[in-house]
Amino acid sequence: MRRRWLVGTVALALLLAACGGDDEGGGGAGGGAEQQYSLTLIQGVKGDQFYVTMQCGAQEAAAAAGATLEVTAPDEFDASLQTPVVNAVVAKKPDAILVAPTDTQAMIPPLTQAKAAGIKLVFVDTTTENGAELAESEIASDNEEGGREAARSLAELTGGKGSVLVINVKPGISTTDARAKGFEEEIKKTPGLKYIGQEYSNDKPETAAAKTTAALAAHPDLVGIFGTNLFSAEGAATGLRSAGAAEKVKIVGFDAGPKQVEDLEQGIVQALIAQKPADIGKAGVEQAIAALKGEPVQKKIGTGFVVVTKENMNDPDVKPFLYKSSC
Amino acid sequence: MSDLTEVTAADEEPAEASEPSGVRAALRRRLTETTTWTFLILLGIVAGFAALRFQQFATVFNFRNIAADASGLLIIAVGMTFVIITAGIDLSVGSVLVFSGVIAAKVMLAIGGGGWGAIAAGLVAGLVAGTAWGVVNGVLVTKARVPPLIVTLGTLGMALGSALLITGGIDVRGVPLQLTTTIGIGQLAGVPYVVIIAAAVTAVGAVTLSMTRFGRYTYAIGSNAEAARRAGINVDRHLIKVYALSGFLAGMAGMVSLARFATTTIGGHSTDNLAAIAAVVLGGTSLFGGIGTVLGTVVGVFIPAILQNGFVILGVQPFWQQVAVGAVLIIAVYIDQLKRRAQERGERR
Repeated sequence: MRRRWLVGTVALALLLAACGGDDEGGGGAGGGAEQQYSLTLIQGVKGDQFYVTMQCGAQEAAAAAGATLEVTAPDEFDASLQTPVVNAVVAKKPDAILVAPTDTQAMIPPLTQAKAAGIKLVFVDTTTENGAELAESEIASDNEEGGREAARSLAELTGGKGSVLVINVKPGISTTDARAKGFEEEIKKTPGLKYIGQEYSNDKPETAAAKTTAALAAHPDLVGIFGTNLFSAEGAATGLRSAGAAEKVKIVGFDAGPKQVEDLEQGIVQALIAQKPADIGKAGVEQAIAALKGEPVQKKIGTGFVVVTKENMNDPDVKPFLYKSSC
Repeated sequence: MSDLTEVTAADEEPAEASEPSGVRAALRRRLTETTTWTFLILLGIVAGFAALRFQQFATVFNFRNIAADASGLLIIAVGMTFVIITAGIDLSVGSVLVFSGVIAAKVMLAIGGGGWGAIAAGLVAGLVAGTAWGVVNGVLVTKARVPPLIVTLGTLGMALGSALLITGGIDVRGVPLQLTTTIGIGQLAGVPYVVIIAAAVTAVGAVTLSMTRFGRYTYAIGSNAEAARRAGINVDRHLIKVYALSGFLAGMAGMVSLARFATTTIGGHSTDNLAAIAAVVLGGTSLFGGIGTVLGTVVGVFIPAILQNGFVILGVQPFWQQVAVGAVLIIAVYIDQLKRRAQERGERR
């Protein structure tokens, strides 16, 4: 009796592990070619469309270069969950790791260990405080430029006359703060528009809605709102609808995930500033391979933006930039 | 479910029997067998991954990292073992961990200077904060007679909410660098300090549970609280101590996390409570109380940790990892149940 259980348990464990092996065999590119570099992309969090789109770009570039690319991610965007993932990948010793560090400080020890193990690092989207030392290349959107782009779109949508408001997430997030900063600089170039400052939504649509209705009461000439992330823009739209001002006030949102695109289709927001995560992934793979071949690399790459509106969202030169849920 | 209850009821019989020493021996025999069992599963998993990816998986480097990554959870799970053996539960551990980390970081920053004095003050403050939440849990469970599930669900929200209030929702950074370079990532003879700390906590926890009066009271209350009371054990005071211990260890895990990451990692501990409970149950501890070992919990902590590591090395799609870890949890407990049932039948005959 006992012997049978023992055998059963071990067999079960082996079977589980073997299943894993099969998965990898099916998913990975076939081996055999000489000088085939192995790359791993460690995203900031599982299942986020921004990172999925980045993954798609990276996979295309890896296939084109004849390299293998594996993708993994922590459950939440947090350093304490990303560290074990980085450590496991380092144990596997790929030639290069593309990683979106989840914390500018906390990810330094595991990534230093990775570099010490002889693995080339490329940082995608986010970085660490000493990113210039650790990574061969750092690739990210220029969020200030994204904010400037939003200001230009809003100036156009509103006809350049009236008050404009920023609904930001919360203080201390480098990306959204940079968007708001770029917006503030650029909006001042349109003399007819009066910038009335930024409000924080704490990433809650209902807070954004309340702040929006309050701003409407204080500034009846409000004509435009820039929501620096999904919930800020959606909350602002809810506030406008409940105040009956949806026709008069235009909203520019950020990012182009399926939810944001749906909002655009339904006319809840009038324009989206889309980042180019696929370009980030592609550039990441290219820089990693250049570093592995000993060719010159670009230390810093800033990727651009696309302005998406209801009118142009199906254009062949805009559609590819909408974020994907799968490749 | 009914099988589970049946087994527990059967397990409680010996506690009420008249001959304590024979009962204890029988109980211990059963416990060690349970632990051996899960340990075999752990060995099987390790053997499986080693067979598939020996050079990547079975390295000192990899095992050192797995141990360091699991150290925080192990410390929490030791406290959780005590709580669950009393037939209680502590859902607040992840939040208490974050709260303690925030308090410790704030104290270190307030004192400033970056010396060991500031670090020590911060660590003490963090441990006190964790213990305080534990005492709150214990008092509410015993004196206010609110079920542990509800009490600790409440303090889960309160501790995390307080931490967010103090920090404004943004991770506290800038703790003294020595903390990270020594305790956080330093090693003694190739073993990371955080692993040594976790091992020490585990050893003390195992000895306390199996060999001291504190441990015996813990089992007794979990088996039958009323019987324990009639036998002269101050059940309320002991339960408060057990919850305080869980809070203290959550605080200690918070210090380990702070030392490793140099920041408070507010967003990363929302499922620590479930991970700890899963580890304790995987290790053969009964959710109905009265049965369990710290050694089993160690095995229970490492099964998911090694699965995650191995799956990343094999390159399994990230979402499958969650599915597999969940499945292994159920399979392991199922095998354990089957075995216990077979044993019950054997004993009755």
